[in-house]
Amino acid sequence: VKKPRDKEISPPSGEISQLAEHLFRQEAGKLVSVLTGIFGIDRLQLAEDVVQEALIRALQTWPYYGIPKNPAAWITQTAKNLALDLIRREKLFRDKQPEIVASTEQWSADSFADDSPSFDTEIKDSRLRLMFACCHPLIAQEEQTALALKTLCGFSAAEIAKAFLTTEAAIAKRLTRARQKIRDLRIPFEIPSGSELSIRLNGVLQTLYLLFNEGYKASSGESLVKKDLCYEAIRLAVLLAEHSVANLPRIHALIALMLLNGARLPTRTDTEGNILRLKEQDRSQWDRTMIARGMFHLLQSAEGDEASDYHLQAGIAACHCTAKDYESTDWPKILSLYDRLVEFDDSPVIALNRAVAVANVHGPMAGIEAVEAIRHHGKLSSYYLLYAVLGELEAQLNHPQTAADHFRSSLRLTEIRSEQMFLSKRLKACEERTANRR
Amino acid sequence: MVTFLHTETNGLLCAVAISKKASMTTPITTPEYMLLFRGMDWDRGLSPEEIQNVMSRWIAWFDRLTEQGKARAGQPLTDKGKVISGKKGQTVSDGPFAESKETVAGYILLQADNLDEAVAIAKECPGLDYGISVEVRLVDQQIGRGIGVGV
Repeated sequence: VKKPRDKEISPPSGEISQLAEHLFRQEAGKLVSVLTGIFGIDRLQLAEDVVQEALIRALQTWPYYGIPKNPAAWITQTAKNLALDLIRREKLFRDKQPEIVASTEQWSADSFADDSPSFDTEIKDSRLRLMFACCHPLIAQEEQTALALKTLCGFSAAEIAKAFLTTEAAIAKRLTRARQKIRDLRIPFEIPSGSELSIRLNGVLQTLYLLFNEGYKASSGESLVKKDLCYEAIRLAVLLAEHSVANLPRIHALIALMLLNGARLPTRTDTEGNILRLKEQDRSQWDRTMIARGMFHLLQSAEGDEASDYHLQAGIAACHCTAKDYESTDWPKILSLYDRLVEFDDSPVIALNRAVAVANVHGPMAGIEAVEAIRHHGKLSSYYLLYAVLGELEAQLNHPQTAADHFRSSLRLTEIRSEQMFLSKRLKACEERTANRR
Repeated sequence: MVTFLHTETNGLLCAVAISKKASMTTPITTPEYMLLFRGMDWDRGLSPEEIQNVMSRWIAWFDRLTEQGKARAGQPLTDKGKVISGKKGQTVSDGPFAESKETVAGYILLQADNLDEAVAIAKECPGLDYGISVEVRLVDQQIGRGIGVGV
């Protein structure tokens, strides 16, 4: 529940607190999964509509009668009734009607309100099937993340658009394309088995990773939606890990890396939305619970002898989270993790991050050399952070003029306001130092 | 208490609302107003998060009015019903309205000092931003005729 805006008056009773935060969003994801199992994956939209309708019913009645004792059960029951109405009415279900009516009635007849274990397992299975369907390799990556947010997390097209800094129409188009592909390519609603499972699971993890990353990226405005992306990615990953087929070391590593990075989210900007660097962040404001949970998953990820790039990234995040202050950060350890990470992934962005670690261990000059070694990588030449890093390192070497040039290049390459403001500040400091010298 | 409502806008609706909370025996010193919430068709683009948000605000609003003794009753109305019209009621059509945005989705019976206060309260309705409109009507306690104003 979002805080009421100023003009709205807070409730006199504790009624609002009876509703768990993001309850509707979470129930929506759950019910869409279960209903998709009933209607069929090709009628995904129908499942979404029924759930939407159930939530609107709550909106139309709860304000007058108050919140029911078990809000989740109320929504489930309403969605079930709406689904049954629809199945009985719609011709498209005629051939299988008795069968699906029976299965629908069953899924809540045995007291779903008390979280009956059989229904609970069914939810978990359905949700996993839907995850696998949304993250199917035949669907483009950007469509996968949009579809996952829509169906599994209950985001509206408008909210997704805000998160991805694009238009609602563009997102609506993406969603339509994705649903179309599911229908046309007959993407199954099932948990893959055998050797396919591992590959497909990697696809799901990759999508969750990108979802998290999208939220983690610094950007202007809508920071609330951005944060929600991170939390939703974590929530889905945790749900995934709860299922026996996905309970693998690498998923725990992914959860750990998301939690350990997510713990620092609130401190990455100041109250005016300006970017704060790691050494400027108020470490006492890091989310201790998330760090503890992250360390727990990191421990679980160490079982077995599997090591993924998620393991290494989680290890790096753990080094930062466990350092008392910036100065006592274990940079040699971080560097060694980066050394192994570049073996996994030759992404120039990772190499650039490694260069920062190099600078912290061997000094700014070594850092610059490490950057120079990767500088001519095609993708990097237009990457604003390349110049921001070079600017930082030149400034440390007391070369304010060279540093200023880099910050100027960097500024030209980013359109995000908070980043522009940060770089302008850095540029100004360098220019002042150059002027003082004269 | 039984309240019988007419809407001149189309002359079709007869909504009979039976309220449990308001009591006949309480002598009424302040006027009563009926807030009619029109629009069954909430913005269909609302996400679950937004639905929960607007609902929580609505509940808080209604609770506050109840606690202040201003809201005497309130109930949702479904869109199931029949419209009877014609001289001898020979025309019966389905649903209160053809257009769902015209349908009365619920009401609150309000005790307010005057129309201005009732309108001010109506303007706080959290549904206004989401395609809901509120009609404020004075309940005439003597002869059952009212004057109204739309918000």
